[in-house]
Amino acid sequence: MEELINEVLMFLGTLMIVVGAIADLIGSIGLLRFPNFFVRLHAATVGTIWGAFLPLIGAALFAAGYVELGMYRWFVAGGALVTASLILLLGPVGSHALARASYRSRAAIPYPLIHDALQEKMREGEKK
Amino acid sequence: MNPEPYLTVILWVMPIYLTAFTLYSVRAVKGPTISDSVLAIDSMSYDLAAFITILSILFRSPILIAVAIVLALWVFALDIYVAKYLESREMGE
Repeated sequence: MEELINEVLMFLGTLMIVVGAIADLIGSIGLLRFPNFFVRLHAATVGTIWGAFLPLIGAALFAAGYVELGMYRWFVAGGALVTASLILLLGPVGSHALARASYRSRAAIPYPLIHDALQEKMREGEKK
Repeated sequence: MNPEPYLTVILWVMPIYLTAFTLYSVRAVKGPTISDSVLAIDSMSYDLAAFITILSILFRSPILIAVAIVLALWVFALDIYVAKYLESREMGE
């Protein structure tokens, strides 16, 4: 029974690591090909959540089922879980802070742009 | 129970991660603005944390996992510092 559980854990972990590698490649191609910074944020999200969070959960499952590591396999699994939850919390916060700062300081210009409602709101706020 | 087939699959997936790192570094070097470079370094380092965790399984050396946690925290600090510098032109006292 325990061997079956270990086998299932290792299979799920390998599957998640493979899916994470493919998502990582898609995210990096998007980051290279998209036209401006605010569109590239979308590709960076794919690379962060699907490309880093999912393989870390997969590595935690794999390490929990990998008996050859000895007792240290719980150390590896716990560390991978902590890193995964940190990335899930901190990645979006960092991207939001960066996007807000580069819009407000005009460090990145959104150039294929039809209507900018946020700009009008900010101008109204300055007048008052 | 034999873990060898799974380890072989993971070993064959490693070059995909390395290709992604190369493309991220191209954007980090080329990026027209500071925000683009920081975003590329951000994504690359989060993926590097996942890569180091997988390496610690492949090499059977559990001590490598401590590197990944610290790397994720430092990259978040880089994000916040650059955002604060862009918005108010000072690094904070």
